[in-house]
Amino acid sequence: MRTEGKLGKLVSFFSPALLLILWEVLARTGLVDIRLFSCPSRIMKTFGPVLLSGELLYHSWISVRRIILGFVAGAVPGVILGLSMGLFPLVRAALEPMVAATFPIPKLAIMPLILLVFGLGESSKVFTIAIGVFYLVLINTMAGVLSIDKIYLDVAKNYGASRWNFYRTVALPGALPMIFAGFKLGMGTALLLIVAAELSAARAGVGYWIWRAYDMFDIERMFVALITMSVLGYLLSYLLDFIEQRVIPWKAPHA
Amino acid sequence: MSASRDAILVKNISKTFPSRQGAPVAALEDINLTVKEGEFLCIVGPSGCGKSTLLRILAGLEEPTSGEVVVTVKEEGKPVNSMVFQEQSLLPWYTVKDNVSYGLAMRGVPKPERERIADHYLKMTDLSRFAHAYPYQLSGGMKQRVSVARAFANDPAILLLDEPFGSLDEQTRVLLQQELLKIWEGSNKTAIFITHSIDEALGLGDRVLVMTARPGKVKAILDIDLPRPRDLTVIRSQPRFLDLFHLIWFSLREEVVKARTEELR
Repeated sequence: MRTEGKLGKLVSFFSPALLLILWEVLARTGLVDIRLFSCPSRIMKTFGPVLLSGELLYHSWISVRRIILGFVAGAVPGVILGLSMGLFPLVRAALEPMVAATFPIPKLAIMPLILLVFGLGESSKVFTIAIGVFYLVLINTMAGVLSIDKIYLDVAKNYGASRWNFYRTVALPGALPMIFAGFKLGMGTALLLIVAAELSAARAGVGYWIWRAYDMFDIERMFVALITMSVLGYLLSYLLDFIEQRVIPWKAPHA
Repeated sequence: MSASRDAILVKNISKTFPSRQGAPVAALEDINLTVKEGEFLCIVGPSGCGKSTLLRILAGLEEPTSGEVVVTVKEEGKPVNSMVFQEQSLLPWYTVKDNVSYGLAMRGVPKPERERIADHYLKMTDLSRFAHAYPYQLSGGMKQRVSVARAFANDPAILLLDEPFGSLDEQTRVLLQQELLKIWEGSNKTAIFITHSIDEALGLGDRVLVMTARPGKVKAILDIDLPRPRDLTVIRSQPRFLDLFHLIWFSLREEVVKARTEELR
């Protein structure tokens, strides 16, 4: 078991390294078109100046700010509406048709409308992300409330919980794991939408950076931006995991 | 058992459930029962006889189709009953201590008082070391201990226990039965305990009620004249225990056979 674990770690470390070496070799021998796919050494050479000049951090900061603002703007109403829909059948009956009808619309498809309504400024990007996050958080929160084990309702009733205490001590904590599942899905969508949102009418951000590298045919810079995207995604989901462990310390690991 | 006041009067309770096939299913039929204050009553019956339904009606978690339950041991500011549930029923998001003091918190008992009471019952159930653990970190036996502590800490007039030790292994079960007896003997609470184990019913109860197969009716009520305080390991080898065991078994066997043929039909 132990050696297997160690071996696994070793393999996990060397397989990406091997891929990078293979990429470099293929590029140098001309088997891979260096103009389209570049190669690790060239990307690394671009990486240094881009980092030192502050270009990378600047674009990252702009994107992260949009993601976080949009995430909060979507998650907060998502949780509130999701809890209401989970707890009150009438609210659910009233809103569910609308949610069901609008949820399947790809968020990218309403971007032109968002641009018309919110203009070319920051709010259109933030709103695009917010709407993507909103639906996923809403649906998961509602499902979280509805899937709370009935036994806890009996416990609350038998031990004299008032209506408000039931929400506070059973419904909200019981839905938390699903709420966080919604957050994580929402974060994935936010990363997807930021690139699209920054394609149109943005002057900064990692998405903009990628598209500008495309315009200039600066493949190395594009790869640096893609790597930045990957790191940002990793850090943001790590942040959510970190918060989750603090907020839900009672959740059995790997359960 | 002291000859004392009535605690609960169960009058002509019947319960039918609607079923998908159309014809409603009768779960309980005309149950009449008087439980004395401070009495430990055990209810045995074949599975599916409605004994859990009866307990849920007594707990106020379900309404009878007809008949009524009159509780005469109400005390100002205290809950009428607290239930120890059959399955895992601890709130996973609270620590052991917060689970034990849950009922107190819901009643608005101030925190220092809550802590004091919870600590007391944690000590009695040998759980002090786990006060700050979460339920997922506990074994099945420990979870049911917390569940028992939660019910006692709430200080109800009546304890309702729905097969609380049913899913535990034999050794743990005997240990918890003995612990329950110890805490109960130090209180003056009325207890109603559902079980499918004759052993358990005999070891714990002042009286044992045998229920019929579905629809559940009262088949027999036996006085268990075994002395208290009881040591469950000693009591099991006494001739009187064996006599009572046979008495209940023959009463129950008929019903178990009936329930099985019903199932196979």
